[in-house]
Amino acid sequence: MGPVIKPLGDSALLISFGEAIDEETNGRVHALARAIEGANFEWLVEVVPAYSSLAVIYDPLMAGLEEVEGAIETLFGVPQVSSEGRLVEVPVLYGGAHGPDIEFVARHNGLSVDDVVDIHSKPTYRVYFLGFLPGFAYLGGMDGRIAAPRLERPRLRVPAGSVGIAGNQTGIYPLESPGGWRIIGRTPLRLFNPGKEPPTLLRPGDRVRFRPIDGSEFVELYEREWGGEDD
Amino acid sequence: MIELLEVPSPLTVQDSGRAGYRKLGVPVSGFMDDYSARIANYLVGNPGGTPLLEFLLRGPTIRFNASSVFAVAGDVDVSLNGTPIEPWKSYWAKRGDVLKAGTLKSGLYGYVAFAGGIKCEALLGSCSTYPRAGLGGPLKAGDRLNLGYAMLSGKEGRYLPRELRPDYSLRKKTVRVLLGPNLDRFTKKGIETFLNSEYKVTAESDRMGYRLDGPVVEHSEKGADIVTEPLLPGTVQVPAGGKPIVMMRDAQTTGGYAKIGTVITVDLPVVAQSRPGERLRFEAVGVEDGRELLVKRERALMAIRDFLDGKLRAYRIKTGEEELVAFAKVEKE
Repeated sequence: MGPVIKPLGDSALLISFGEAIDEETNGRVHALARAIEGANFEWLVEVVPAYSSLAVIYDPLMAGLEEVEGAIETLFGVPQVSSEGRLVEVPVLYGGAHGPDIEFVARHNGLSVDDVVDIHSKPTYRVYFLGFLPGFAYLGGMDGRIAAPRLERPRLRVPAGSVGIAGNQTGIYPLESPGGWRIIGRTPLRLFNPGKEPPTLLRPGDRVRFRPIDGSEFVELYEREWGGEDD
Repeated sequence: MIELLEVPSPLTVQDSGRAGYRKLGVPVSGFMDDYSARIANYLVGNPGGTPLLEFLLRGPTIRFNASSVFAVAGDVDVSLNGTPIEPWKSYWAKRGDVLKAGTLKSGLYGYVAFAGGIKCEALLGSCSTYPRAGLGGPLKAGDRLNLGYAMLSGKEGRYLPRELRPDYSLRKKTVRVLLGPNLDRFTKKGIETFLNSEYKVTAESDRMGYRLDGPVVEHSEKGADIVTEPLLPGTVQVPAGGKPIVMMRDAQTTGGYAKIGTVITVDLPVVAQSRPGERLRFEAVGVEDGRELLVKRERALMAIRDFLDGKLRAYRIKTGEEELVAFAKVEKE
């Protein structure tokens, strides 16, 4: 079944492949996003992919809805080249002060802390899309054995780089922000750097693998990434 | 260079926004009221999207450390060295002059534009402030800002006639929306409630979104939570509580609440300029209406720009009850 196209205001279309959260559907989203970006439409402002849908933002002064819709429909038939994206290794210092909820996650699932680290760092996760905060990756593929409910009272301040679990999802806070996820560790890598092009470490379609590290490697990497900036 | 002497409320640098980074989760940001902001820039001879100062409710006091041409946009008292001057008009300031913009009498956002614009280091292609991600920060008293290079002569004394100024004072504002795309998440009654009720802007409103209070918009049995989807400034999300939220310029790029509609581009400034306590009504329009109104507005803005540049003359004409402004080309002698 083909995707459904609906207007999202007077300057965007929302193209939906249903409501599934899975790799196959998300792969179709990214394939279409790439095809649209590659077609060099003069009216194209940008494409925003999500789990099973994407927004195509256009300049309504350059093209009307019918023209944009027609142009996008011609791309539905284009064979979808699957892209694996890059494999990005994300070092994580699990537990301790940087992972205050790891014991809760272990207890909640009847596991040891080491089990949680093993299970969390084993799979290769897929970056379904970025949203919520600049550089925040919605990752797919977490093992359900380490699922955990969100905090009842979200923390007011979660440091940048914190790795958390919420339900069946895992993710990394790119910036300091309030947050209700269970924090199990922290990466010294900088997920969002406005001075860099592109500004985000992770990009839609990438794959992520977490690698457990110790405190001294954390400090070394942290200084390299953040170069003396305040925590 | 200018120096901020008093900053009584949030003050930021904004321009036309940050395009091209939404897929990385970076909001578009930019002018909350792009109509007023662009006119402020045209008043000082800048392209419409040039970086300027955006203030919330209470204007700043600014000292000029070099001569400059400036204009203030908004329904506000303005003074230069203590002498009252007018908003919507460009003035010459000498070194040492002090500009003070007061509290807006109507509307929520005001603008101060300078010939040549605020000089700043563009981050990700824009000078728009988005403090959450370290893209600039709110300004404070004592901050000094450089201005861009500009020919100043001929830029002062530009004036926007009253008839062309936006009216922020309307008690009941009607905002046009294009319904969808998650209409299956609402009952017929819920959609009718949304379109036939008044919604009050609450104090929980900022550059990210305006929370509204009013009759509960009823969701269908499918519920309020959707698989996270992209959204835009202007999109109206309705969480399970049934109170709509209009997303604004600093909105996150994706969201998980059902979207009942999106405010058309030309009416987004109307929402932006609504204060907490003021009321909005939503009216459904067709998909081509938003575009036609936008094309019309852009033509009007271009005419205003050319009028301020001295390329067009403006005439006041009366058609029945209405007073309109018409433009005509200035004939070369």
